[in-house]
Amino acid sequence: MWASDGSSGAPIPSNWIPPIHVSGFDSCILVGRAEDCSGNIAILRSLVRIRQLFLNVKLKGENPLLSQLDPLSSTPFLFVLSMASSLRLYLTCIRNTLEAAMCLQNFPCQEVERHNKPEVEMKTSPELLLNPVVICRNEAEKCLIETSINSLRISLKVKQADELENILTKKFLRFLSMRAEAFQVLRRKPVQGYDISFLITNYHCEEMQKHKLIDFIVQFMEDIDKEISELKLSMNTRGRLVATEFLKQFI
Amino acid sequence: MILLQSQSRYLLQILTNRVQNIDKGVELDCHWVEFDDVRYHIQASIKNPHLLHLSVSLPTPPPETEFSGGLPFGAIEAIKAAYGSVVHILDPPRDGFNLTVKLNLSKLPSLEEMKQNLLVKIASVREVVMGAPLRVILKRLASRSVPPNVGVLVPLLHRPNESFFIVPQIEKVTVVFPMRFNDSIDTVLAASFLQEFVEARRTAGLNNAPACLWSSSPPNELKEAPQHALSANAGFVSFVISTRHVEGKKLDKTVWSLSTFHAYVNYHVKCSEGFMHTRMRRRVESLIQALDRAKLDENGPASQSKSFKRLSIEESRGNSYS
Repeated sequence: MWASDGSSGAPIPSNWIPPIHVSGFDSCILVGRAEDCSGNIAILRSLVRIRQLFLNVKLKGENPLLSQLDPLSSTPFLFVLSMASSLRLYLTCIRNTLEAAMCLQNFPCQEVERHNKPEVEMKTSPELLLNPVVICRNEAEKCLIETSINSLRISLKVKQADELENILTKKFLRFLSMRAEAFQVLRRKPVQGYDISFLITNYHCEEMQKHKLIDFIVQFMEDIDKEISELKLSMNTRGRLVATEFLKQFI
Repeated sequence: MILLQSQSRYLLQILTNRVQNIDKGVELDCHWVEFDDVRYHIQASIKNPHLLHLSVSLPTPPPETEFSGGLPFGAIEAIKAAYGSVVHILDPPRDGFNLTVKLNLSKLPSLEEMKQNLLVKIASVREVVMGAPLRVILKRLASRSVPPNVGVLVPLLHRPNESFFIVPQIEKVTVVFPMRFNDSIDTVLAASFLQEFVEARRTAGLNNAPACLWSSSPPNELKEAPQHALSANAGFVSFVISTRHVEGKKLDKTVWSLSTFHAYVNYHVKCSEGFMHTRMRRRVESLIQALDRAKLDENGPASQSKSFKRLSIEESRGNSYS
């Protein structure tokens, strides 16, 4: 499913960014804000179909995903939706997006001399920021990738099906965040609305090999999911054993 | 250790030590707390090495439980029945304690095995005192006599300012525990553990175990219970104890495991949290290793892409890019 410009010949809004194809990910849609494509039937139709697929997604403005992204910016942002919700596709999409986004260069601060700050955190000059990308697997699992000239911020939201999983995720991710020093690329505090965030600067890209850094992020995501399901399983097994031993006393 | 032992290990150690080295009687004055609710104090002097003063402080009883003279009903009779002449109850007890007893080690039986059994029994003073009212009710069930208060809710002391409830009926006794935990993580883990109790009861091997139910809202049995007893953040667990669970020697075990049910669950919740931390630590190590793999080798080819670097003499000669 493609929301592509120029296909229907309708006038394209001035601030509409042309969609880019994310390689290795066959079904992705890059979408601008609904009001920006008022004239373009093809894009609107795609939006309606997205809406049918994701019932909670509303078109006009009050979309929770769309509004939380960047309330200040008037430019449209990229919104990548995964149609196939398998884990492999989700991770491939993230991997490809990261590969595309991780072209960071050294860039000293424009406001203060001799300072060098991650622009994605400072957000002082809009010309240095790129459009954030959200990659969703479903409502509960999504990934926000914000890019700037010299830094990249990746925020993850991890699936939490029930209260136990919620506790385990919170505990585990807090445990990791507290050890951010050892991880270098980990952010001490997650971005609001997400569970864990990474901040990669151009210095990290220089010290480490880029593709292996991406490997790490993807492995990290896989490991978190695996660890949480294993923890949950071991909790349940333990609970069962404890209960069985207790009840055995009465026999 | 999966199950909790009924004797206080520390107390048993002190007593055995004392009995073995009775001639070298040393001064002794120890305080300790068990399961976060019962406080012990043991004292002995050099003058009378045979005499020990053991004091026990029970958790503060909630208003609905029946207490006579600072002890649960039936406790004094239970102590006398269990220990005989070795133990002498002092009245009034020491300040800040519910019960003080004088142990006379010279009156211990001379036979080694019996002596050890009695010491273990003394070390399980918690079971004797706290479990006394429960034992009275279960004994009535064992003898199949019709209880005087069929269907009437009996609140019993469980934890500080908390009680659990017993409904004696003909041929069975229902025990309801309102489960409360201070920590929100503990609460969630405990709730999932408690649901496992219900699941485990359904397995084939445990058909004869007491029926076990868990619900997040107060069960029907607690209709007459006071309002403050009905707020339990980890739900309510009820066991239905029938006559076969209290026959003969099983009675002691049943009394002990029911009266320390909360401690048992809490102990395993804490254990699993410890286990979780060990796992997480291991996982953090493996993730850091994965990140280290991304780091460049010292003399890798990509080292020229640095945004700035120190210029060494060697490089300044031949390299055009620096």
